[in-house]
Amino acid sequence: MKKNIAVVEDEPALRDNYAAALARHGYAVKSYGNRHTAMQAFRLHLPDLAIIDISLEDEAEGGFDLCRDLRAASAELPIIFLTARDSELDAVSGLRLGADDFLTKDVSLPHLAARVAALFRRIDALKRPDNAAEIIRRGALIIDGDKMQTTWNAVPVTLSLTEFWIVHALARNPGHVKNRQQLMDAANVVLDDNTITSHIKRVRRKFQQVDPAFDSIQTVYGMGYRWVE
Amino acid sequence: MSIRLQLLLVALTTLVLPWAGCQYARELESALRGSQEQSLLASAGTIANALSAQPQRVFRNTDLRAFDARGGDLYVHPLTNQPLLDGYSEDWGMAFDPVTLPSTSGYHARVQAGATERYLYLYAEVDDTHFDPEPNEVHADTDRFDRVDIWLQGQDGTNTNYFFATTAPGLNAAQLIKGDEVKDNDAKSSAQPELRLQPEPRIQAYWLQTAQGYHLEARIPLSFVAGRLWIEARDGGSKASAGFTPEANAEGGRLFFATDGLDGLLATFIREGTRATVIDTNALALGSAGSVAAASTNAAEDSRGGWYRLLLETDASNLPPLTSSGGRLGGDSVHAALSGEPRAEWVRGEDGRMLLTAAAPIIVDGTARGAVLLEQNAEQMLELRTQAFARLFRLTLMATATAVVVMLLFAAWMTFRIGRLRNAAESAVGSDGRIRLTMPGSRAGDEIGALARGFERLLARLNEHAQYLRTLGAKLSHELRTPLTIVRSSLDNLESQGLNEEQRSYTTRAREGTQRLQTILTSLGAAARVEESIKQAERLNFDLRELIASTVAAYRDGFPHNSFVLELPDDPCFARGAPDLIAQLLDKLIENAVDFCPPAGRINIRLARETGSYLLQVSNDGPRIPAEVLPHLFESLYEQRSGRDDKPHFGLGLYIVRLVAEFHGGTARAANREDGGGAVFTVTLPMI
Repeated sequence: MKKNIAVVEDEPALRDNYAAALARHGYAVKSYGNRHTAMQAFRLHLPDLAIIDISLEDEAEGGFDLCRDLRAASAELPIIFLTARDSELDAVSGLRLGADDFLTKDVSLPHLAARVAALFRRIDALKRPDNAAEIIRRGALIIDGDKMQTTWNAVPVTLSLTEFWIVHALARNPGHVKNRQQLMDAANVVLDDNTITSHIKRVRRKFQQVDPAFDSIQTVYGMGYRWVE
Repeated sequence: MSIRLQLLLVALTTLVLPWAGCQYARELESALRGSQEQSLLASAGTIANALSAQPQRVFRNTDLRAFDARGGDLYVHPLTNQPLLDGYSEDWGMAFDPVTLPSTSGYHARVQAGATERYLYLYAEVDDTHFDPEPNEVHADTDRFDRVDIWLQGQDGTNTNYFFATTAPGLNAAQLIKGDEVKDNDAKSSAQPELRLQPEPRIQAYWLQTAQGYHLEARIPLSFVAGRLWIEARDGGSKASAGFTPEANAEGGRLFFATDGLDGLLATFIREGTRATVIDTNALALGSAGSVAAASTNAAEDSRGGWYRLLLETDASNLPPLTSSGGRLGGDSVHAALSGEPRAEWVRGEDGRMLLTAAAPIIVDGTARGAVLLEQNAEQMLELRTQAFARLFRLTLMATATAVVVMLLFAAWMTFRIGRLRNAAESAVGSDGRIRLTMPGSRAGDEIGALARGFERLLARLNEHAQYLRTLGAKLSHELRTPLTIVRSSLDNLESQGLNEEQRSYTTRAREGTQRLQTILTSLGAAARVEESIKQAERLNFDLRELIASTVAAYRDGFPHNSFVLELPDDPCFARGAPDLIAQLLDKLIENAVDFCPPAGRINIRLARETGSYLLQVSNDGPRIPAEVLPHLFESLYEQRSGRDDKPHFGLGLYIVRLVAEFHGGTARAANREDGGGAVFTVTLPMI
């Protein structure tokens, strides 16, 4: 059965492009131009995944409201913000509202498709019983590549998809410096340096919430980051 | 020229006040002089009229024939004091004013007459280098010796002949020649043996021998004198003679006397400081009274008035001198009066003082028999003038000084306001690009206040523009993102349709284009993103040395064509701040250095400790920075580069450097290297 994806985007050309690309990858895509039409449709039938822009027509923060409403309707529904707004504040707000990922519109369609696929894979993996998944253990860190779950000292660390892939890329080869481009490739996302930096910062903070002594992601200035044990 | 100087010059035009005062004083003086002339003329006229009513008290002789010195007429000067008989005329109290006696043989003799109340005085100078003394036994007609003969016409019309001669110089009496009355030339020339000589002791003379000849000073009682006197000097040796004889000159030899009692009469007419003189038609003084000597002159007043007087053109030295010589008066006024016309004239007195003279004719029986000449000391008037002028001058000078001072103060105040406004205008745009919107003195209601308000409006507009420009990059970067994404996602979709080789080459080019656009948008928004990062940056302690070492290692890989020379302290350099931002700062500095550094050029990175701060310097071998550009390099949107390469430059790189440096409490500055090659950028960061 085809997964249903709802694209809420006020720019018609972009909306159609996204819809076409996702349809090509085998998803059933419904697209909406504003919050109202989207919400009306969602009340009747929730999609399997919602891709939302933040500013919707005349509502500058309509996407955030929509996300809040969707999260209220369903705790499990995966939500991806896809927006031209790339500020740190927007990203933090979006993720706090319960979005699973925050992508800027710089992302290419194949990347988007990959992210969507990964998200569905994580959801599917969570639903399935444990199997011999790809597990990476680095001291206190355990990464379940299948379920896309991370634990530190056996405590789950909730990471967004992008963050997960960054940690995954770093931890797979401890001691190796990953530059920003490598991290972006790993996360299937196009981000500028600042955004990578803020992602790293956020990852550190999330780990530090679990373990204040966390210091495994090291900055190598001018080059990138590396995982140290 | 500063406003202060301009206003000072304007203020100096008030000097026209003293000038105008000067003019006014002159006008006043000229009017005063005019009125004084009129009043003096009126006085002279009055006196002349009074005198013409009683001509017998004025004119002694009724002979109206003109004075004729050639005919042997003599003017008898009125003498105020009794001269001593000593052969000198200096004690006559008047200038020597002799009549030269006519001579046929170059024998020179001069004579002068004067009179006191009782005596007639004669003074003769005879040029006779050979002294021929009088022999002991004199035969008046035959003996030859140096002698001076006089003939006195008595009241009865008979002439009496006396002569002076001497055996030795000194005081002696005249010799009376008694005999028949000499009637004519022939009689005189024929010898008269019965002539007798008889001394006349009442007529005294003093014979003074000099190198040129002799002086004879004689005294004759007035009772001997009626109306005529002839005098002749004879040389004993050469038989030459000079002078007049009654035989040769019966109509000559008149004596012109000052009129008795006229002085007293005149004295009743005049005031102090005025001298009145009555002259006859020959301009000979018949009588005078009064003195022009100033009543009282204060010496200090005089000297103080002196320099004011310099400013007035009326100066006594320009005036004609008072022409009066030995009782004979001259000058325009005298001549005019004698021809019947009253006239006033300003003259210079003997002591250099200004005198006003006015002469009026004395008309008797329709003809001018003489004139009254009044001389008045003008000093009194001058003093009045000087005082008035000094007061006027002081007043206007004070007014001028006040005006200049007030204008200077005003100018200083204006200059201060304008200077303050100028300083404010110059510093209105701060080095960080921020614009101050208020100007000092903008509340003032005058033009300077209006200027300040004009500046404020201008700055407000400028500020709007600057704000707009500052946000333009971020806005553009944001707004262009969506269309760019449409293009790129469309390309993605297109490529997934299975394109042939040719089609794919086009999409590849389109993709490259979008990539460049993306880069441009990213640079445009860079400053805005850094500003945002700074807002959210967390400060932590880090080792600056390690950070620089690792970043420079990365640059070595990134820019293989440039060589990097790193100079670091030996021990760690801890600083507090955001290492990510410092890394960005370094990125911008290095990018900048690489852009300007020639291929294979060297880039020096140096970290050093200075008092209290770290010094991070990045220098390159590139071109020098023009001096006028240096202060603006770190400003937002300041870009001097012309598009040399593909990379877009928006003048934000060094602005980011400064933002980061200032966030850390440091500074950023640029300079040219002292060795002449390239530029050096210095960032200071505080130590912890």
